Amino acid sequence: MLSIVVLYSFVYLLLLSVSLFLFIFGRRLLIESRERKDRRVYGDMERDVLEVLTARDPQAAAVDFARRHASRPRILKEVLVAYREALTGRSLEPLKVIFERTIRSRCLRELRSPFLATRLQNVRLFIDFSRPEEAVHLVKLLHDKPVVRLAALNALAGIASRETLAHIFDLFEKDPEPNLYAYSNIFFSLGPRIEPFIRTTLDKELPPAKAGLLVEMAGRLLLRGLYLDVVAFARHSDKELRIRAARTLGRLLVPESVRTLADLAADPSWEVQAQALRSLGHLQDWRSVPILVKGLFSPQWHVRYNAGYGLAAFGLVGILQLQEVSRQKEDRFAADMAAMVLDTVVVTGGEP
Amino acid sequence: MSDVLRVLDRGIETLILVYFLLLNSFYFLFSILSLAGILRYRRLVTFVRFGELFRMPIVKPISVIVPAFNEEQGIIDSVRSLLSLRYPVFEVVVVNDGSTDQTLARLIEAFDLKLWKAVYRKSLPSKTIRGIYRSPIQPKLIVVDKVNGRGKADAMNAGLNISRYPLFCAVDADSILENDALLKVVRPFLEDPERTIGAGGIIRLSNGCHVHEGQVTGVGIPRNWIARFQILEYLRAFLGGRLGMAMMRSTLIVSGAFGIFRKDIAMACGGYRAASITEDIDLVIRMQKLMHDQKRPYRIQFIPDPICWTEAPESLRVLARQRSRWHRGLIQTLIKYRGMLFNPRYGVAGLFAMPFYALFEMTGPFIECLGYVLFTSHVLLGQVNYPFAVVFFFVAVFYGTFVSLLSILLEELSEHRYPRLRDILILTASGVAENLFYRQYLGVVRAWSLIDHLRGRNEWGSMEKRGFAKAGQKP
Repeated sequence: MLSIVVLYSFVYLLLLSVSLFLFIFGRRLLIESRERKDRRVYGDMERDVLEVLTARDPQAAAVDFARRHASRPRILKEVLVAYREALTGRSLEPLKVIFERTIRSRCLRELRSPFLATRLQNVRLFIDFSRPEEAVHLVKLLHDKPVVRLAALNALAGIASRETLAHIFDLFEKDPEPNLYAYSNIFFSLGPRIEPFIRTTLDKELPPAKAGLLVEMAGRLLLRGLYLDVVAFARHSDKELRIRAARTLGRLLVPESVRTLADLAADPSWEVQAQALRSLGHLQDWRSVPILVKGLFSPQWHVRYNAGYGLAAFGLVGILQLQEVSRQKEDRFAADMAAMVLDTVVVTGGEP
Repeated sequence: MSDVLRVLDRGIETLILVYFLLLNSFYFLFSILSLAGILRYRRLVTFVRFGELFRMPIVKPISVIVPAFNEEQGIIDSVRSLLSLRYPVFEVVVVNDGSTDQTLARLIEAFDLKLWKAVYRKSLPSKTIRGIYRSPIQPKLIVVDKVNGRGKADAMNAGLNISRYPLFCAVDADSILENDALLKVVRPFLEDPERTIGAGGIIRLSNGCHVHEGQVTGVGIPRNWIARFQILEYLRAFLGGRLGMAMMRSTLIVSGAFGIFRKDIAMACGGYRAASITEDIDLVIRMQKLMHDQKRPYRIQFIPDPICWTEAPESLRVLARQRSRWHRGLIQTLIKYRGMLFNPRYGVAGLFAMPFYALFEMTGPFIECLGYVLFTSHVLLGQVNYPFAVVFFFVAVFYGTFVSLLSILLEELSEHRYPRLRDILILTASGVAENLFYRQYLGVVRAWSLIDHLRGRNEWGSMEKRGFAKAGQKP
């Protein structure tokens, strides 16, 4: 009995192995031949795209291109995505025309596909080639799976109008498990136009993580109009929010924030102190030099580290202070930190 | 008495057969899961522009930590390759672990290193640091020179103490990362920043490849058969095994040659354990244990396309040393964390991944060797049913070949790195040939490692490096 099972197994495995080998081999031959053909078609399309982009009337040339190449959507997508990488602004318009006239309707249809990967692939094309009229289709995807939702948000960010921005912030407020990293990149890509939305959203009751992200955005986008809103968070009970407020104040570089940052430098939490000292360094207000020097004598490594680099940011004045601290003998930890910062200035020009 | 022996003999035979069937069923299952995983991954990353990540304003910075012991041959190529990675914010921390060759001198000369008075927190234990160097021409590079810690773990801990960023990437000094490897491997940390604690990519062998200025510029198959067999082994292990296990959320190994981790979690569980000789698996298990103990959700991802190239041994002696260490490390780790085995508290890791490694990976070689001993004794006693034995042998060979072919198919579907049809033929031939001596040899080596473990042999053993320029031959 066992012998028969083993014999059958042998025959079965032999056939399976040979078939698999032939499949791999045949598939490779087929792919190589298809790749050769695709390369040729891609080359033709690439030449024609370059002609479109350099034509006197790019719109008309784009229409003509679309008519000629609409029958090869797979390679056309590749060409459009590749050229999207290289182009920005108005030079993208002919590509959008080609997209609209060739694969737009199919992509819109596939946005409703039951397969996640298909929806995702198509919504990603809209990140590059969407028009304001597509917003209605993309908004529907804001309740899809997280990965599709984020791609849809990215696409909406590309056609930012007042309505789409409202949708984005609405979703941010309601998102139960927001990917803060993804939101921060989307907000950053939207630029200063989101200032009123940030202000309105910050006025609402938000979880600290969401409020923290908006405070952080105010600094990254240099939205000085939100200075007072940010200062309000410097007194917040949540430590993370105070840290973010301190960091943002260091970016906004509003001279009046020295007092707020000086208060934060005396915060009970060493994390807040460390960030406040780093931000004071960015502000380069001479009044904060004694605070930074005091920070070098903190028992906390991070506080000393940030105070050291904060002083280094002052230039010569800070360097002189660091030299003085490095020479004193009372606090070896402060002296070592000052020496390290001075050494970094010498070796790498001050890059920590 | 003879009846008892016969029953015992029949029992062992059945055990070996059942074991063979179960083991291969699992490998087959992993291959099928990997196939699904690769196809899904390919579809999910269509039209993703990894370059976009490079331009994003907020990405998680990464410290690339490179422990180096006697790596004078390839260290400059490796560090150059790491410094040229495409990633917005990263630093490269090379830890010279008391090398007795010219590793440090070559680094100092190549990058104009200057001694730096660094003040750092010694959060993790490590041997004395003799000096920390920085380069005026490469501000991203930090070189730590320390007393030898008799293992990679100690060097990694020193690197972790010096590193500044929230994610760290462990890379072997004899490895080359592809230019966009960090951009690809960091994706899980951006998509699910709260839960992702680790991610790994594929390790491939640089033997037979052409390396130019720290990058693999031509992929080929080496002339050395031992290296060829290892290419297949790596394909099976990474594309078949690890991806399949990751699909079942039971990743237990993120290779020490290329893995990325959250630093806060690694520090919270005490960093690398110096006593461990396979510090990578040890760290991953402890991180998982910590997350389970704290009842925090987590995931460890395997990404099938960020590629790290590494040099494989081309002699049986060095290969045996390497595999013995791997196996001793596995035994050591599974014994150390035996409390997790079959423990529902540790989820899939405790109920599936660890038992799988314990029952199949750890004990596999002993059962295999038991089979050889049994067969030899039957030959000597004249009790062999030769037709059956021959057919069974071929079943084993063709099963092995079939699994190898599956991994070649996975390679074709994922990265399609071997450009010529001839490469497929050579890999297939290797898949058949490895069953004739190589597998049995490694089985014995791995089984012997238990004896080494019981004798308390716990050292790393040296790897002879040829350097990429010599290992690489123009394909």
